[in-house]
Amino acid sequence: MTTTIAPARTSSVDAPPPPAPSAQHRRSPARIVSRVLVVLIAMVQVYPLLWLFVTSVRPERDFASGNPFGIPGSITWDNYARAFDQGHLGQNILNSLIVTAGAIALIVVLGMMGAYALQVLGFRGSRAVRALFLLGIVVPVQIALVPLFIDYSRVGLLDTYPSMIIPLAAFALPMSIYLFSSFFEYIPRETYEAASMDGAGPYRIFARITLPLSLNTVVTVVMVNAIFIWNDFIFANTFVLSEGRKTIPLGLQNYIGAMGKVDWTATFAAVCVTVTPLLLVFLVLNRAMIYGLESGANKG
Amino acid sequence: MLPYRSRLSVAVFLVPPLALYAVAVLLPIGQSLFLSLFSWDGITDSQFVGLDNYRHLLTDGVFWRAFANSLGYLVICLVLQLGGALAIACLLTSIRRWREVFKVLYLLPAVISTVAIAFLFARIYSVEPEGLLNGVLGAVGLDALQRPWLSDVSTVLAAVSAPEGWRFVGLYTIIVYAALLAVPRDLQEAAALDGANAWQIFWRIRFPYIRPVWITTTIMATTYALRGFDIPYLLTGGGPGQSSELVTTYMYKTAFTSTNYGYASTISVFIVVECLVAVGLILLVLRREKTA
Repeated sequence: MTTTIAPARTSSVDAPPPPAPSAQHRRSPARIVSRVLVVLIAMVQVYPLLWLFVTSVRPERDFASGNPFGIPGSITWDNYARAFDQGHLGQNILNSLIVTAGAIALIVVLGMMGAYALQVLGFRGSRAVRALFLLGIVVPVQIALVPLFIDYSRVGLLDTYPSMIIPLAAFALPMSIYLFSSFFEYIPRETYEAASMDGAGPYRIFARITLPLSLNTVVTVVMVNAIFIWNDFIFANTFVLSEGRKTIPLGLQNYIGAMGKVDWTATFAAVCVTVTPLLLVFLVLNRAMIYGLESGANKG
Repeated sequence: MLPYRSRLSVAVFLVPPLALYAVAVLLPIGQSLFLSLFSWDGITDSQFVGLDNYRHLLTDGVFWRAFANSLGYLVICLVLQLGGALAIACLLTSIRRWREVFKVLYLLPAVISTVAIAFLFARIYSVEPEGLLNGVLGAVGLDALQRPWLSDVSTVLAAVSAPEGWRFVGLYTIIVYAALLAVPRDLQEAAALDGANAWQIFWRIRFPYIRPVWITTTIMATTYALRGFDIPYLLTGGGPGQSSELVTTYMYKTAFTSTNYGYASTISVFIVVECLVAVGLILLVLRREKTA
């Protein structure tokens, strides 16, 4: 890999004479157009979110009467106060934290265990089990809604935290096992053999070698899944019935008043409150997540 | 394989994940197949009806309307996500600085919940008060194009599909971009020396090189679009009429509004088959092109 890239680099960057293609490209109109486009696309992706935030600090009257897309005349935090008064925002956030933490813990622990059994321990029929798990990546979650709703109502699990945690974790498990497996492949066999010679059993090897080495993969798995689980709508909407168990995505719906009348500024304030923690974590840890996305798809 | 292992240790590590997976994924698949042969409202006794639900599916006009809409939704999402991702990823490789920053900015919408996005787009599309889209159209003198995007039958499907496309362009861009970076530079430079233009380099070298990743992203985008639910459900609930009804929203309503569990299961079996067929077709078409 490095041997093929290194000569290419020297030819394009270090070579000063004009024939080097990149030197010409740099000032070409095509390059300027592509720069402008890259910035424009970034605006399309970011402006709606920025507008969301600006609206959330805009006085209600300013939003209703003035130009809702201009710069606000003044800034207010009243909308945030109203957002907390109107809904059950605090309770929603707590519920989301519980569900996300629970599902993520299951995904990481069980994903790692499954991958360890399949990739490191190995056994007869492991290929079949692996294929069974891969099926879960293709199967849509909708298949589980009716059966789980019926099963839950029979065993009294409807409207509980596990009713959301179980399917969220189970449907994310295949991808997590896949990511951990492809990481475990890179742990040299010699490491295990050496540990084995020293008398370490499978449990000790898991705890002392595999687990500590895979912390980076853990961060990736947590990030990718946290976003999807924190934002889950379909399972929560199906299995949650009472106000007290509603997660953030469901709670946000409360802001739509009777007859579809919406208190937009308070709604956007609520949206901002619920989006910000995830956004901050994402901005801090985006490298881990982007790395996970890239390697996940590029290995497949 | 670890030299020092036992059957027990395999079981200890494998059984817990397999149990969770079986309870919440495998068992429901079986139950859905079973339920799809029954007529059941959840209260009175269920009745075995054999393949009646499937027969009904074939003649159910609303279902076929929803299926056609789902295909439209799929096409719009694929064009926005895959076409957009490929174009944007190529653009990104052509700039030198700030690439990492742009990757993060492009990915931002994927972090926002679908409910928040539905709120956002409800406001973008709205007429009274004037939303962003109609405002922009008015500002550039295209007043004739202003319309109630979500209640106009001719635009509603596109209007509920676009947010999903917008949301995940960045995700696929990042994946395709990583693949493009892996294309060996000397291969491209050799082609340039042989007189290939930018298009030729793209179609003859870069694109064939990233084909495996392209297959993965196509499968991802397709299966996600076929199970798309949140944004159309939240924005229009399938309306007006059935003009933005998808197979998924129809299934959801059949189950939880009409409490027709048997028929809803039949539709969900259809969704699974649809996804499997789509994956099969993608593999068939994209793999064959490679050998041809």
